[in-house]
Amino acid sequence: MGASPAKLIAESPLNPTTCLETPRLRLRPFAESDLDELARWYADPEVMRYIGDGRTLNRAETWRQIATFLGHQELRGFTTLAVEERHSGALVGECGPWFPVGWPVLEVGWLVDPRRQGQGIATEAAGAVVAWCWANLDIAELGSIIHPDNLASARVATRLGATLARRLPNFYGGPADLWLHRRPEAPKVGSSS
Amino acid sequence: MTMRPELLIETPRLRLRRFRETDLDAYARINSDAEVTRFLGSGKPISREDTWRQIALFLGHERLRGYSVLAIEDRASGEFLGRSGPWFPQGWPMLEVGWVVDPSRRGQGIATEAGRASIDWCFDQLGVSEVCSIIRTENIPSARVAARLGAKIEGQLPGFFGAPADLWVHRRPN
Repeated sequence: MGASPAKLIAESPLNPTTCLETPRLRLRPFAESDLDELARWYADPEVMRYIGDGRTLNRAETWRQIATFLGHQELRGFTTLAVEERHSGALVGECGPWFPVGWPVLEVGWLVDPRRQGQGIATEAAGAVVAWCWANLDIAELGSIIHPDNLASARVATRLGATLARRLPNFYGGPADLWLHRRPEAPKVGSSS
Repeated sequence: MTMRPELLIETPRLRLRRFRETDLDAYARINSDAEVTRFLGSGKPISREDTWRQIALFLGHERLRGYSVLAIEDRASGEFLGRSGPWFPQGWPMLEVGWVVDPSRRGQGIATEAGRASIDWCFDQLGVSEVCSIIRTENIPSARVAARLGAKIEGQLPGFFGAPADLWVHRRPN
């Protein structure tokens, strides 16, 4: 089990002053200006059904969640980030590495605006985060913890090349599946065209 | 990491400084004591995992507000004694200064000394003229600290995290 605290190998693009980019998305630290939008998702029982204990969060709790994300960055050097659409600047999700004390594995998690699901946003954001984690963190395992009924997230994990490793019988009071991401292989001589 | 000004409040016996991950063991021990937590939040002891998240929350509060609840350290020994400092998350009724002290160090005036310095810091550094302390009505020891600091009860919060609390207000002297 990846129980030892992950160490950051070097200063990285998840530094709070910079961010991670993909063709359509920018991942950057959460800010207080994200509160309204994030609070709207966290108040939606459909969004929260498979997150933590399944409870919705009010506006004050959402603010504390943003603060906890930022504090996790202070303590670990990385955290869950806001996912925004590059062309519009709209907040469309959250995604990033997450490893608070007591977590079974360094996790890449994701959550997408319910109006923007089915557009490949989670796969694009999480793919970038998975690659970043393998490149920048000194880790043996990288996982995603997914509620067994959360088929949409299981599909994202499959698309990312993760495999279902084991079931955690009691994660926040219920079962959860631990998916493990594949470590990328080192490129071989002669493999480029 | 971005460079930020050091948040530091010093008194004759105490140093109030930013929380660190190395405070986890000592702070989790205090948070595991039902006598300490019965008047805080949900009233239940706080696990080591939730204590870590609380430390993250304090640090994130500083990122969002520029100040936060700080660790209280014994200046002479460096020992972790508890927490105090300015707190104003979303939805809070007013800028608050609270205090939690290691139960083995009760009765030594630590809460009063840390609370006094935190409140004065708010007056001086944040320019506010009033600071509150939200104290469960049945939390007599903390009410005594608030009274010693010159605060007055100016309101009631009937359902503060599920139990009645008093809004004590500290006013800046003219």
